[in-house]
Amino acid sequence: MSEFKSGFFVGGESTNGRVLVVDDEPDIRKVVRMTLQKAGYDVLEAENGEKAIEVINSGENRLLLDVMICDIRMPKVNGIEAIAYFRENYPRVPLIVLTGFPDTDMATSLLRQGVVDYLVKPVEGEILKAAVGRAMERRELAPL
Amino acid sequence: MRGRPTSEGAGAAATTPAIVHTTVESERSNPSAAPLPMKVAIIGAGRGGTALLEVLHQIPTIEIVGMTDKSPSAPGLKRAQELNVPVYGRIDDLLHDQPLTLLMDVTGDPAMEAALRQQKQTGADIISGQAARLFWLLVQHESTLQTELLQAEKMAGFGSFAAGIAHDMNNPLQLILGMAENLAEETDLEAVHAQALDIIDAVKRTTAICRDLTSYSRRTSVRQDGLIQVNSKLDEALKIARYAVALQDIEIRKRYQPDAVVKGNPDKLLHVFVNLITNAVQAMEHHGTLTLETISTADTTQVRVSDTGCGIPPELLTRIFEPFYTTKPPGKGTGLGLYNIKNVIQLMHGTIEVDSHIGQGSSFTLTFPSDPSPSEGTVQS
Repeated sequence: MSEFKSGFFVGGESTNGRVLVVDDEPDIRKVVRMTLQKAGYDVLEAENGEKAIEVINSGENRLLLDVMICDIRMPKVNGIEAIAYFRENYPRVPLIVLTGFPDTDMATSLLRQGVVDYLVKPVEGEILKAAVGRAMERRELAPL
Repeated sequence: MRGRPTSEGAGAAATTPAIVHTTVESERSNPSAAPLPMKVAIIGAGRGGTALLEVLHQIPTIEIVGMTDKSPSAPGLKRAQELNVPVYGRIDDLLHDQPLTLLMDVTGDPAMEAALRQQKQTGADIISGQAARLFWLLVQHESTLQTELLQAEKMAGFGSFAAGIAHDMNNPLQLILGMAENLAEETDLEAVHAQALDIIDAVKRTTAICRDLTSYSRRTSVRQDGLIQVNSKLDEALKIARYAVALQDIEIRKRYQPDAVVKGNPDKLLHVFVNLITNAVQAMEHHGTLTLETISTADTTQVRVSDTGCGIPPELLTRIFEPFYTTKPPGKGTGLGLYNIKNVIQLMHGTIEVDSHIGQGSSFTLTFPSDPSPSEGTVQS
């Protein structure tokens, strides 16, 4: 599989926040990372829901993760399943959906489940950064 | 409807209820179910005769007992031989070789009708002149309707492609937008070059989607009929089907026999394959194994599309080829998919067979006669 920036978030105050990008397309992860890193965020990647669950359960990531950006149509554990898992197990982490397929019913259902934003690709960098900024305001600190 | 499925496996199903076997083929092979066939002779093997032959041979209650033409190279005679319809060099032999119900004179020769009236067997009717022309027009009309129905179903199916198309177009567009935004501020020339190349790749991917789909959506034309490389057609179908159904979690196994070929219309066969693959993947609900197989023997070429999905309940097997029959929710299926598939297969003189095991999966096997004449490229239109 192609390289992607999995691993661990680093604690401390050096970044604006820590974002996990979950998408099966390496290109998408690459541009989202590029945009967010320039805006001062620390970014980790996962290629599907299963990997995302692995990433958040690695090291101290579950304590440090601030926001997750998640695609819907992915192999293995898809976005819907991953979002259900994250809402259940990490309700403090705000979720942004970034999908290629605008589906009003799905958007409504996901927003009801607590997803904070539903963005449709292609999304401009400014809009993405604004969405992440809003999500950061809604995060809750991890219990110690 | 023609080609209504027969439940040849009903007896087996009674003892082993999990296994159902259904064969759909020319009903001529099941004479007990059909009334005595009308015995028809076709005189004239030009365009009109060939078109009549194509349609009449599909009708189970009609037996074409022979065909003749004053020109031995008339196109209909070759077609008749392919369909195992006896070809006669002399009209006399055709008229007296066996009992006849109907003589269809499509020669357009005004003297022919009188000659036939003199020589015909008692009790045999003759259709000639304007009446024969009317038949030909109706046959052409039926052929147009079938093509329209196929196209209508294809277009209706495009709705299900929306998610796949959106996914495959918006992802490269996201890359293009993101890279372009970055390029606006990028000062490192090496990075600029690399990102420009990424953008070019993404544009190429996007245009490939349009190319695949515009070629798939076009109307079929009989002028394209010819020999089809089945393996590459299956691969092409797989590329199209992935817009309609998510293949990410499906294991795909290909068991291709090299050089498997069949004769027919490549666009229609592509549509058949796309439909069978789409159905197979939908039956598996995103997890399972899709197997695509081709098998060539001296006499036949077989194509098999198998899934490890939910299987088809025995009581539905006799209905799945009926027009407008669907188990999908409203708006999700036209009920024309398998009906059109059956029509296309019959037109190619093939058969379609279904093996389905509840909870284990289904397997659709298409069997076509092998074509021994690789140089033959087109048929009359």
